[in-house]
Order: sequence, then structure tokens, then C-alpha cells
Amino acid sequence: MQPTQRGVSRREFVKAAVAIGGSAALSACLERESPDLATGDPSSVPDRQHAWNEALPRDDHGNVRIPRHHALLLVEYSETGVPDDDARETVEAAFRSLERAYPWSNEGLLFTAGYSPAYFDRYDADLDGVALPAPTALAPFEDPELDEPDAVLHLASDYGSVVLGAEQALMGERSTLNGVDVSGFGEVFDRVDKRTGFVGDGLPAEHQDVDGIPDDEPVDEDAPLFMGFESGFEKNQASEGGVTIESGPFAGGTTQHLSKIRLHLDQWYNQDSRSQRVAKMFCPAHAEDDRVEGVGENLGDDNQVGDCVDDIEADAGSHGIVGHAQKSARARDENDTPVLLRRDFDSTDDGAAGVHFLSLQSSIADFVATRAAMNGSDVSEESSVGTRLNNGILQYMTVQRRGNYLVPPRSSRALPRPSP
Amino acid sequence: MDRSQYTRRSLLGGVAGLGVTAMAGCSGLLESQAVGEPPVVEERPNAVYYPTHVEGMEMIGMTDAGDRQIGLMYSYAHRFWTMDVGDTARVSAGDADAHLMASVWDPDTGQVLPVRSGLSVTIERDGQTVDERTPWTMLSQNMGFHYGDNVSLDGNGTYTVTVEAGGLGIDRLGAFADRFAEPVTAEFEWEFSRGQRSEISFQQLDGAGDPGALEPMEMKMPLSVAPAREDLPGRIVGTGETGDATFVVAVTDRGGEPYLAVAPRTPYNRYVLPAMSLSATLTREGEAVLDDSLSAAIDPELGYHYGSAVDGVDSGDELTIAVDSVPQVARHEGYETAFLSMPDVELTVE
Repeated sequence: MQPTQRGVSRREFVKAAVAIGGSAALSACLERESPDLATGDPSSVPDRQHAWNEALPRDDHGNVRIPRHHALLLVEYSETGVPDDDARETVEAAFRSLERAYPWSNEGLLFTAGYSPAYFDRYDADLDGVALPAPTALAPFEDPELDEPDAVLHLASDYGSVVLGAEQALMGERSTLNGVDVSGFGEVFDRVDKRTGFVGDGLPAEHQDVDGIPDDEPVDEDAPLFMGFESGFEKNQASEGGVTIESGPFAGGTTQHLSKIRLHLDQWYNQDSRSQRVAKMFCPAHAEDDRVEGVGENLGDDNQVGDCVDDIEADAGSHGIVGHAQKSARARDENDTPVLLRRDFDSTDDGAAGVHFLSLQSSIADFVATRAAMNGSDVSEESSVGTRLNNGILQYMTVQRRGNYLVPPRSSRALPRPSP
Repeated sequence: MDRSQYTRRSLLGGVAGLGVTAMAGCSGLLESQAVGEPPVVEERPNAVYYPTHVEGMEMIGMTDAGDRQIGLMYSYAHRFWTMDVGDTARVSAGDADAHLMASVWDPDTGQVLPVRSGLSVTIERDGQTVDERTPWTMLSQNMGFHYGDNVSLDGNGTYTVTVEAGGLGIDRLGAFADRFAEPVTAEFEWEFSRGQRSEISFQQLDGAGDPGALEPMEMKMPLSVAPAREDLPGRIVGTGETGDATFVVAVTDRGGEPYLAVAPRTPYNRYVLPAMSLSATLTREGEAVLDDSLSAAIDPELGYHYGSAVDGVDSGDELTIAVDSVPQVARHEGYETAFLSMPDVELTVE
């Protein structure tokens, strides 16, 4: 990280402020990072909470670029039993006030509210038309804590100050935001956890002074993520339409899986060769043919592992290595389309390198299937590929927490009934 | 072999004799592997060879973990080689403090379980995580198969090391059929000091680069030694050599059906060779009666091997064992040039 003349780089400061929270940090933050933003208009916000892509910029290759700063607020409904209409109105009013304060865009604020199986368990009736299983461990070698807050709020903006301001508004810690009067959750929700993060060129390099990353600052200045490669290629992502629940009372919604992952990149950067990193992240052929330049921008809008997928058993058998993207690409729907829309980002929560792996899919079963493909157990059991070693990037991560959520359509985003 | 033997402390004594100027840079010099590890031998055979030096090892502990036992030990941080795409990649010791090693075995048979389990290690001090990693599966001449990696610590002190071994992801045969399925965890207290580490023996070898291997270390815990040819169950149908490894082939009974077992082992020390992909073709009078990949498996009598059901194996049958992938284990010095190019093993059934 290059300190500025003020001692701390501006981005570093904003990241620290998002992580720390608190009005003192925010006011200092707003002073340094003072975007001149228009206010927002709730009537222009899409019906789908997860409809962000239209409001997001794309890079030169057409890849959607998600906002740079993120916060996840895990909240509990403060009462026992089921929420009443007053609580519902309070929550909806809070969301509306955020929509008035900031435009629905990367420079303004994008957000979603998701609800857990534990939340819907408050009701006697079953959740209508959506399978929302409780989270579980998804590999024989993981033992995650299972998150069961009532709801999770995902706040995202290119400006850390906007993310932080939105959180404070929701939590009742400020009454105006971007010059607009705002209301919060009042007594309805208690915040039980907060996770923060970032994604985008330069940010991981600026924040690499944390546990899990070697001290010699190995993260590429151009890398959008700690592991040093591009991700979120347009052709390897599901579309927003593809992850949308199509029918039933929650039509227009989606499901969200959120895991908290610790990264251990000492071996990745200190021991693995470039060729091993490329083989493990993408596929052995990408390494052999030197197909990835730098952080992988030359790949364009497709990680180009499509051809590697058919070779996976051969690669496992002959190289003893299979790639992360190569394995994951096997999870596709009947139209040969990816089933996950990843909106994951890196984190320095707890002073450690991590990933908040947030993905949207029309059904949690799609996530489970993709994760099973990523485990590669079918490949490793029949070859010299290890359970975690030389098996994509499993070696470098520990899944600490998992949670499943329903992200309803905007019309029922405030404390939804199981059959709204 | 003529071994010039010294501990690092005796080396320190020698350096101290050089005077104050030498001492000024001395501690850094002696902490570094530049002094500890001689350069890699320039002319290495494509075979198992005597390394430049042999290091002792200090036991941290041995403990029961469910239906397994786990041992943890350490030595100096040192170079090793991981398997890269079509090559090996050398990993240097860097500024790591120690080479940490774990071994997992069956307490009943003493058989080391050199198999997929996704073993991970967490090192903590005063409740703070110092390091967390999935160590490499490794092969060393004095220890055989183990899990290991160089680790950096937070100075001298007491560390808690938690080893998590997952359920075994390979076929388990015979009395092992119902075992080793569940993940197990073991916790160790590790009193680490650089002074104590320097007490670990360290010997340079004169015959470095010559074909041969260090003797297996005498330890309280079992090593991953394969059963001798004559101790394998069933009928031995042949032996072949490739890439400096020996493949012993046996036909045994599995659930009342004939079972072809290929048991590769290192020369000299007869360690098992894990994490290979093998396939076998058995031809009788010009017709293939078996043409399939072999599955890694562990058996109380056969040990770690690669096997497949087979209709039967007759004297005079032609057997070809193809090495689709060489052992995908990281190698300590002296093994990194062996077991890399492994042509098919062809033999006529005895």
C-alpha cells in the first residue's frame, strides 16, 4: 500500500471507515470522499431487488463491474413471534428513504434485503413456492458455522461513504443522508453482525497487509481480487433473468447464498509457480499454453475454460491437477448456461484476507450443485488429484460460515409473510 | 558413506571463532537456510539419490484421534519440490521458521494412511491464529509419506497446533472397510524456540548426488513402508520397474472375486508411492480381458495400492500397467528427480 501524503491512502481510509463504522468515522470519511451525488427516485428502482446490472458500468470487454465497496448487515427481528404491519411499514419506509437519498447506481447505492429459513420458521405456514433449506456444510472437509439471522442486507456502492451512510441511516444513527431526510429500522431490527469488503482493480493490492497474505505484498496492483486474477466474466455468469424465481408469490425474487471464507495465500504466492496458479485457478491447458496474461484481462468476457471442461478427467489423470473454473463450469443448466450470478468480494474483516462469497441463483439447489462441482470429489476419487491439494483452489480457503436467504421481489422486501 | 557430522550449534562455535565481525552477521546467517542447506547437487540422476544433507527431527507429540493416531513433528525449514504442470517447482525455505510435519496412521496395524483426506493445520498462539494451511502431501527419504510444509511462526513461545484429517477419500478394503470415514481432529502443544530448533541434528553428506537413499529414521511412530513382496497376500504375478520405482503385482481375493493389486514402492526404503493415476490392460491370447483405470485403495495386508476387480489372471497373460500420472506428492531432496518419467510397466504373468 502506498500511503498518501496524509499518511493513509484515501481508499485505505474509506475501507477502514466502512469497517469501523461510527459517526465520527463517517464524518471524517465524507470529508475526504465527498461525491457530488444527485438524490434518488424510488419510482425508478426496478421491481427485482437484484436488478443491479442495468445500473452498473461495464468494462471494455462488456463485463459488468459490481460496486467497489460492500457491507453486509446481519439483523435479527427484535421481537419473538411474527412481525406485525407496523414493523413492516417501518422497514419499507427505511428502504424507501435510502432510495430517495441516493440514485440506484454504482455511484449511488444498490442494496438487497434477504430473509433466512430461520425467519420464515417464525410463521406456522410454509414458505410458498420456494425451497429455502437451512445452510449446511457442503464438503467433507469443511465445518462452517451456520448463519441464521432473520435477514441480511447487502449494501454496495463505489463510495465507501455511501455504504457507511446507508448503514447508519438504517440503524437510526443519522436522520439525513445526502441532504435527504431518512428513517431507519427503529426498534424492529438488531444488528448482530457486520461484514465488509471490496472488489475492483487496485483495492486488493491496497489492502494486502493482513493475515493470510505474505508480507512481501505479492498481490498484483491490477488485480480485482486477492488471488490475483479477474473474475466475474460475462460469459461465466448467470444473467439476472436466469437467477430470478419465475413463478409463485415470490416471482421476481431470487435466492442468495452467503459464505464467509478465509484465504490462506502463503502457499499460493510463496510456493506455487505462476503456472501452478493458472492451472489451479483456470485449468492445466491455460498454464501449458500460457493463455493468461497478467491478471487475465486478455481473456475478455469469458474465462475460456469451456474446452477444458471436457478434458477434466484427462487432466486429473495425466496432470494430477484440475482447475477451479474448469470444475465449476460443469455446473450449467439445460441451456448450457451458468447457474450462479456471483457478486462476491474480498474482505479484511478480522484482520485477515477473506472472501464474502455472495451468489444469486433461482434455487439454493443450484448453488449446492455448483459447489459440489467445485469440490471435484468425483474427479479426485478416480485420480491423483487430492481432496484439496491440486484440486482447484480448495487448498487456499476455509469456509467459516454459510447462510441461505430468499431475496424477495421489491414489493415484498419488508418482512415478507411466507405467502405474501 | 563418510558423513561430516555437526549440529548447528557446533557450527555456531566454529563461526564464533572467526571473531566479532563475523559474529555481527552471524545469527542471521545461521538462521538462514543459505548456511544450513548446501546448494542442490548440480548433476542429479533421474533417480533416487543421496541428498546434500540429512536433518534430524523433533517430535511435538503423538495422540489418538478417533480411530486414527496422529503424530506431529518439526525440523528446519528446507527446500522441497511440488508438482507443477509437466514439471516440478522448487519451493525454497525462505524465512520460514520450521518444517512442520504430520503423519496419520492406523493404531491397530501401524499402517500409515497416505491417502486423500484434505488434512489441514491451524497454528495458534494466545488464541490468535498464526497460520492456517493445507500442508502438502510429501515424500521424504528418512520418513516416507507425510503431510508437511514450511511455516513461519511468531517467535519463541507456546503454540497450539490443531490437525484436522478428513475422512479418507479412497477405497478401504478388508478390515479397513468401515473405518477412517469420519473427520478427526488432534491438538498439540508446541513449545518452540529457535535455540531448541538449533539442537536438531544436521549432517552434510559427502556422497550427495550418488544413487541411493537415506536410511529410514528410527522413530516412535510407524513409517509408510510397503509390505515386502513376500509378505503380500495372494499370488504374486510379477514385478516391474519404471522411473526408479518398483511395481509388485498381486492377485488376491476381494469379496470372493479375483482382485488385481498393483503396489508401487520406492527403491531402497520400500515406501509406498501415493497419488498416482494408473491403468491396467490384461491381455490373454491377444484379447483384452481387463482394460481399466485402477483405484487407489488401502488394505490391512496389501497396504496402499492401486487395484481393480478382474475376471481372473492366468499364467502367460500379458499385463501392461500405464502410469497416467506420476505421484502427485511434493518431494524432499533426493526424490525430486525420481518417479517423474514413468514408462509403462509390461510383464508376462508368472
